Amino acid sequence: MNKSIVSAAVAGVLFALGSHAAIAAPDWSKVPKRDVHVFHAGVTPIEWATKKSDHSGTAGMKKGETCVGCHEEKGSLNFNFKRLADKELEPKGAPKTMSFPVSVQAAYDAANLYIRLTFKAPAGGADKGDKDNEVKATVLFADAKVPQADQYGCWQTCHADARTMPGADDKKTKYTKEGAYELIQWASKGNKVSDGSVGGERKMSGGAAGAKAQAEKSGDSYTVTFTRKNPGEGKAVPFGVAIHADHSHGRFHHVSLGYKLGIGADGDIKATKQ
Amino acid sequence: MADNKLSGFLAMIRRPSAKYSLLSLLVVGFFSGIFFWGGFNTGMEATNTLEFCISCHEMRDNVYQEYKKTIHYTNRTGVRAICSDCHVPKDWTHKMIRKIQASKEVWGKITGIIDTPEKFEAHRLQLAENEWARMKANDSRECRNCHTFDAMDVEKQKLRGSKMHKIGIAEKKTCIDCHKGIAHKKPKGMKEEEDE
Repeated sequence: MNKSIVSAAVAGVLFALGSHAAIAAPDWSKVPKRDVHVFHAGVTPIEWATKKSDHSGTAGMKKGETCVGCHEEKGSLNFNFKRLADKELEPKGAPKTMSFPVSVQAAYDAANLYIRLTFKAPAGGADKGDKDNEVKATVLFADAKVPQADQYGCWQTCHADARTMPGADDKKTKYTKEGAYELIQWASKGNKVSDGSVGGERKMSGGAAGAKAQAEKSGDSYTVTFTRKNPGEGKAVPFGVAIHADHSHGRFHHVSLGYKLGIGADGDIKATKQ
Repeated sequence: MADNKLSGFLAMIRRPSAKYSLLSLLVVGFFSGIFFWGGFNTGMEATNTLEFCISCHEMRDNVYQEYKKTIHYTNRTGVRAICSDCHVPKDWTHKMIRKIQASKEVWGKITGIIDTPEKFEAHRLQLAENEWARMKANDSRECRNCHTFDAMDVEKQKLRGSKMHKIGIAEKKTCIDCHKGIAHKKPKGMKEEEDE
């Protein structure tokens, strides 16, 4: 009897500790929010962005300017969305909402990095290629071998010959020419988490980030919390966000520009130490 | 016989007048000069109007339709730049040279070189390259009739324009280096220029 009480007590303590470990997530009320605007980028892969006749900003990029440095302004993006929605850059048709804010919070402890995204996924998409998932949220982290990752963000994975681009092979995924990105994705159907990578090709599993995700929907607002291994204190990691809203797939996402996530280091978004 | 008549006429116009006073000749010459010179310039200015340019369907159906969607046609301040503001120099000498060059376009009109949308598209790159080369060679003079770096407050511009203009000023770039395809569609197959 006593033994069973002791066992139950021990089990209770362990369970409590376990639960505590599972929800060792930070006190988000104490972590600052940084609004990052995600947008429908149309057909503007890295080849477009680095071609002077398409993008006159290449002169700035060659001098080390970042996408954010020119295009994030007054808490929003200063793109010519009319141009991005025009059939020349979006032959399939643009979504009704070209851009929306994603509130990003980041925190870390010795073991993990936590990223929390809060957003309202808009309806009115032009592509419904993912029948299963209403919404997907993805974060990418570049490794040090990706050239100019801190300038170009996820665009180093985005190519004109990748699937869903006009005339591209449907089996060719996004890829990098050098270096790789860690890819962590939460998908709404079954709260599925993918821990993958983008290197020579995009893989939705086999990642080393030890990724977990929790998501809540409150009204029309989603909160997705990613937990992954801490890449290392003192690092500023190139980081980007993509939201596939309204059953969209492939390139029909809303993406952020590239930001530096400072983990005990300077960055566009600074993770709060726990 | 005909030779005699011609030499007689030449002799007459060379001979000092015994019939008209010098004052009469000067007055008549002065007003005739105004009439013909004014008429010439008025005629030339008539070829600088938007209406003249789009009286040809080649311009009206192609480039004019594209231009109508741009900021040079309609904008918040109500200032419009018409075809000649960008494509014809303002000062007389350069304008005359350009008009003489443009007489080639009359031949183009007669031979129908761009008289269908398909033909226009086939020539769009070449036509654009000709104009870009002209603008590059004259340091975007027609752009600078309205836009100058001296009068430009880059701090009041959107961030992306501000940063790029600072680079442009520092590197002595000219407007057309970056601002191609702002009033008409960019042609397909543009050559990539190397930065100097």
